[in-house]
Amino acid sequence: MPRGGNMESSENDALKKGRAKGSSRPGNGNGKEATPTDSQSHDGREAVNQSAEVINSLAFGMEAALPGTHPKSEEGGAHLINEIDSVSAVTEWETHKVMDQLDLISQLVGRQQELITQVMHHPGAQEDGVQKSLYEIMNAGKNIQTKVFEAVNLMQFQDITRQKLERIVYHLRQIHDYIVELLGTGNKTEERPETFSHNIAKISTTPDERKTYADSVVNEFKRGMQKE
Amino acid sequence: MKILVVDDSSTMRRIIINTLSRIGYSDVVEAEHGKSGLDKLGQGGVEMIITDWNMPEMDGLEFVTQVRGGNPNIPILMVTTNAAKEDIVSALQAGVNNYVVKPFTPETLKEKIESLLG
Repeated sequence: MPRGGNMESSENDALKKGRAKGSSRPGNGNGKEATPTDSQSHDGREAVNQSAEVINSLAFGMEAALPGTHPKSEEGGAHLINEIDSVSAVTEWETHKVMDQLDLISQLVGRQQELITQVMHHPGAQEDGVQKSLYEIMNAGKNIQTKVFEAVNLMQFQDITRQKLERIVYHLRQIHDYIVELLGTGNKTEERPETFSHNIAKISTTPDERKTYADSVVNEFKRGMQKE
Repeated sequence: MKILVVDDSSTMRRIIINTLSRIGYSDVVEAEHGKSGLDKLGQGGVEMIITDWNMPEMDGLEFVTQVRGGNPNIPILMVTTNAAKEDIVSALQAGVNNYVVKPFTPETLKEKIESLLG
């Protein structure tokens, strides 16, 4: 059975216990605070222990999933980085397949245009009406090629998405390590060089979304260099 | 003109090369990170570099710094998702001549390349 299944069950159990404990919080039912007693103090400690259990369970779950950690068991062993790598590889592969098809369309339209050019020079196609129609077909072909080129360019989304996923993994590792540090249990993730910026919010989605801003920073910098 | 395109994403390399081809530059060499980029540069003939920032092995900033150590004049365009002002300034300080934030339109890439070569 995959380790994830056990973890989920363990988390759910711990969460249920936590909720059950929450329903028996100190209070006398008329809205007034109850005076602390030994049993309530005991309840408090138990609640803390159960919270720790939930957090520990989450940390354990993340440990099984995160890159750079050594799970206590080999069971399951599906590391998130492998999953992310796999998703990235598949989307990259599929993106290339789409780009191949788009390139093929562009080539076919190019071939069509060559044939139309030959027909335009044919003695039997010199009537004004025929020539006009052939020009219109040529222009339509050029428009298709432009649109195909634009579609290829939009495939940048694949790289953008990959980088966003990498950043999410980074932040999950940070949370995991914090929990491990807090509870003193589990294994922290291995130190590894990060190959990306950590700020997800600053990754653009729309083409040229940051062009004006970047240009202004570049121009400001160059003006500053000229003054020096 | 031979152009070196350095990016760990094969999708991005293909898009950039496609754009270069469309604006008349078909002599392109590819590298998937800075280290490989330095190797390709060492083989000679490269007259312009387009590089990503976030890459394994050697990132774009380190790559640009090393390139500038021996090639003070080669035009370098950085194309990256990093859009923070401090990132752009760091890249310029390292020696890039211009900066494009991903995702970009073909017109923007064309404009930047032509301004560097013009």
